[in-house]
Amino acid sequence: MQTLLVVMIYAVLFGSLYLLISLGFSLVCGVLRIFNLGYGATFLVAVYGMWMLKSTFGLSLALSIVGVFVLQFIFWIGLVYFPIVKRYMEKEELLLTSLLLVALIVEETVNHFYPVTAGVDIPTSIFSDTIQIGTTTIPTQMIVMVFVSLLITAFFILFLMKTRIGYKIRAVSQDSEAARLLGVKVEQVYALAMGLSVIPPTVCMLVIAPIWSIEPTLGHSMLQTAILVTILGGLGNLRGTLAASFIVGFVSSAVAFFANPRLVGLSILVIVFFVLLFKPQGIAKSESLW
Amino acid sequence: MVKIEHKRALLVFRLGQKKFEWPIEPRYWRNPLLGIALLATLPLVFHSKADFLSLFATANIYACIAIPLGWQMTGIGRMNFGPQFFVGLGGYAAGLLSVHFGWGPWQTLPVAFCLGLLLGLALSPLTTIAKGLYFSLITLILPLIFLEVTYYFRIFQGETGLYGIAPLVRLQSIKAEYLVMGYISLAMMVLYLVIVQKVLSSRIGLYAAAINDDEDVAESLGLNIKLWKVISFVVTSVMVTLTGWFAAHYFGTFAGVTYLQLPFMLKILLMVMIGGRGDIYGAIYGAYFVVILEKLLTFAGTINYILFPLILMILLFSLSEGLYGIYRKHRYREYYPTMRVRK
Repeated sequence: MQTLLVVMIYAVLFGSLYLLISLGFSLVCGVLRIFNLGYGATFLVAVYGMWMLKSTFGLSLALSIVGVFVLQFIFWIGLVYFPIVKRYMEKEELLLTSLLLVALIVEETVNHFYPVTAGVDIPTSIFSDTIQIGTTTIPTQMIVMVFVSLLITAFFILFLMKTRIGYKIRAVSQDSEAARLLGVKVEQVYALAMGLSVIPPTVCMLVIAPIWSIEPTLGHSMLQTAILVTILGGLGNLRGTLAASFIVGFVSSAVAFFANPRLVGLSILVIVFFVLLFKPQGIAKSESLW
Repeated sequence: MVKIEHKRALLVFRLGQKKFEWPIEPRYWRNPLLGIALLATLPLVFHSKADFLSLFATANIYACIAIPLGWQMTGIGRMNFGPQFFVGLGGYAAGLLSVHFGWGPWQTLPVAFCLGLLLGLALSPLTTIAKGLYFSLITLILPLIFLEVTYYFRIFQGETGLYGIAPLVRLQSIKAEYLVMGYISLAMMVLYLVIVQKVLSSRIGLYAAAINDDEDVAESLGLNIKLWKVISFVVTSVMVTLTGWFAAHYFGTFAGVTYLQLPFMLKILLMVMIGGRGDIYGAIYGAYFVVILEKLLTFAGTINYILFPLILMILLFSLSEGLYGIYRKHRYREYYPTMRVRK
């Protein structure tokens, strides 16, 4: 009973973390119908951009948090969406290769200026103590992360369901050609979706940076998680992503607890394989955004 | 017995009622033969420079991965983002058996072959089950998972990798050894080139092109698309596995960190893209270009890690049909495959 409780606690923790990681990837996937293989770089831009603003330019913490969001929007809309994504929208192989190249360029640039030895430290922790639940001890920052994750997801869902722009985004997600005929400016919606998609990774890095190992290669595991969760959730369906991230969270918590933490990646892949075998559309019912 | 007939541009093999045609077109032979002759003289000219010969072999190894990949992408109508999974498979099969059991290269060859065949067959259902996007993503993740497995089990020697793998040939002088290895790599590349070129210019190539263009139409015309997709996938996977086997025995070391991570896959993809998409000769141009560029950039110091992807990105932007496209521009183009991911 006690172990089950621990597994469940960690399932919720991992699930919220995976949700936060994969929300942006899923949104791009659902609206633009492409895979942002440069998604790993969003995390790097978030963490190292902030470090650059804070240490190199000497901005205050609040200003550098604002600055990092501006930096992210400029980078992903101005430098990635308009020159690359828009240009290669119909040539997917070139698109995916150039997005991977973007990720590589960002990673190597970060590695050049701030290698692992640079000692990057983001002081955004709200609580620095730990909390005792039953027999487990977890950093309080993780609890903050759970609430932030659920809050952001709720914000995204409300934004997509209730606002006029949300309607447009959903229309493009369902049928971009029909939406174009009805007067939606599809390119602007794409750019907006690309911009929205960087919010969850940035917030994620802000929340978990104090308790996470910050290194220039951290994007790989993030991209891998986002891909697996998004495939399981049905390629861009937010409801599916929500369910899938908690399923994956439960599986990784159970495997890490009862078997070995190193087998987590393998077990998730096996599950995704089996889901694809029996239900090729993933666990979601529809291919639209919600 | 097999009867061989020679018709104008065809060699026809007959075995009872069965007939197999092998197209030979001497008028197209001149340029590839010239190119291969040029490549064959390179090691002799630079025979005293070991690092050059190593570069030569590396380029050939890369081409040996990129050439089968060209066939695979057309033949299954999907984009494979994880060819290095099979490189890792062959390399680790060779390395593990050689390091832990002391097997020689010719003993590990059949094991690598069988492993490639088995895993190729095991994964081949994906080519029909998984739609374009899903297939690309799953193949993207496979090598990363394999890398995690190599960290988990002690025998793979995780991050340091396997070392002390038996060399392919053992000669008295090291220089002669490098020269012979360079020629073996060239021979392997030419063999792959001939095989894939012949296959793609035969009836099977036509099937591959039909599948690549539209699977539904191909099936409605009576083509057994499942069979041909599985064949394309398995044969090319085995070829890539054998390249991994060669790389492990050539370098004497094999580490998943080098071969299984995204940068290596990107290099292979860029060779295909920059060389010229869907063209077999383009893969060779691309392989040599990328290897030479990488070597030249090492003179730029540590900044080369940023410059290398940046230059490739610019090339990708400016050469829409690749390096081979420049040469082919004023020529008649028979068939130009497109790779579809979103389908």
